[in-house]
Amino acid sequence: MVLIPEMPAVGRGFISRLEKYTFDNPAWTVPKEAINRRVSIVSTAAISKRGDKPFSWLANNHRVIEKDNLDLVMTHVAVEYDRTAWQQDLNIILPIDRLEEMARDGEIGSVSKEHYSFIGSSDPMKMERSAKEVAERMKMDAVDTVFLVPV
Amino acid sequence: MLAHFFESFGLSTVLVGFVKEHIQAIKPPRALWLDFPMGRPLGKPNDIEFQKKIIRTAFKMFNEKSGPVLREFSDVIPVKNGRMGYALPVELVIDKNNIGNIDLLVQEVKTEIEGLNKDYTRAVTFRKRTTLGASEMKISDYVNYISLFIKGDIPNSPRKGIGPVPLLKLVVEDLQAYYTETITFRDKIDDFEKIGTWFWEKTKAGKLILCLEAVSLKSENRVLKQIVDMSLITPRFWSEGPLPGTSGSGW
Repeated sequence: MVLIPEMPAVGRGFISRLEKYTFDNPAWTVPKEAINRRVSIVSTAAISKRGDKPFSWLANNHRVIEKDNLDLVMTHVAVEYDRTAWQQDLNIILPIDRLEEMARDGEIGSVSKEHYSFIGSSDPMKMERSAKEVAERMKMDAVDTVFLVPV
Repeated sequence: MLAHFFESFGLSTVLVGFVKEHIQAIKPPRALWLDFPMGRPLGKPNDIEFQKKIIRTAFKMFNEKSGPVLREFSDVIPVKNGRMGYALPVELVIDKNNIGNIDLLVQEVKTEIEGLNKDYTRAVTFRKRTTLGASEMKISDYVNYISLFIKGDIPNSPRKGIGPVPLLKLVVEDLQAYYTETITFRDKIDDFEKIGTWFWEKTKAGKLILCLEAVSLKSENRVLKQIVDMSLITPRFWSEGPLPGTSGSGW
């Protein structure tokens, strides 16, 4: 089991010092029944369509990924995580195929037309405005469920 | 944090995450802790059932009546010595004064790239995709661009809107992706420790990037020095430190 104390010194120090925000009265949205659920993925892997502007280090904006255009590149600044897995299989960070299969099998209702990407190295408190824009786009597409996938 | 935002906008959320203590502190509404190396939140490439097991376990939390809910995924993908990703050995550092003949090294890397091209092309054909291209530079131009920095130049960026050093970082990552996309296909390996050891200790391209690191550590260009200090060119984040040429102050 890898907890922070087991990590090597450089990573342990950095991760220990990261700001851990808390909410006093966190929201709780009652989920829809599985069969009616429409799911969108939010990745913090800084992936984007080929040709999109690369993410900058502290970017608090997002990129839109259309399900019909999955020719993606990654512009995350960090190199401490394994990139070889997503190179082999996009579903490792953006499990669109798995969700589509689950929708076909009736485990969920459907999968959204769009998915979204942020860069995980940025301050999440500064992402609220962009998250709101994403939420509005999701609602236009009748999305009610968000699967958040970090990297 | 994003989970809290989306939930407050009326969307139900569930997340998967790698750092248990952070999940416990931030208390997202529904979270599944994965005892996996970073970079692979769905676990295993091309393992459909394993990936679905993660999603199903996460989505089961939508049955909970209240939160926050934190569950642990039953399967573990073990890592070595607490390292959540590949760690370049600290002792593997090249001194700027010992980088040798860069023109010769550049030729060796070009030959190496050419030698891998057939398998890279096969890998792209098989996967029907490549992750190369963040830099928007041709593969044949990667090495020349990197070598300019090693020789002490800060060239003008050929790409509008992106400075030369941020572009350099993308070129370095594209170069590595060329090698790792090829080797994972050619040798059918999915082990970042082995892949990292091969790239950084065996290939000429790895040596070229270590030379870039050596020069950058002594650079007067603030941005170039900073990205190396912060281990954003070479993977030293999971080392016991200190980072070479620094006190680790970048972190």
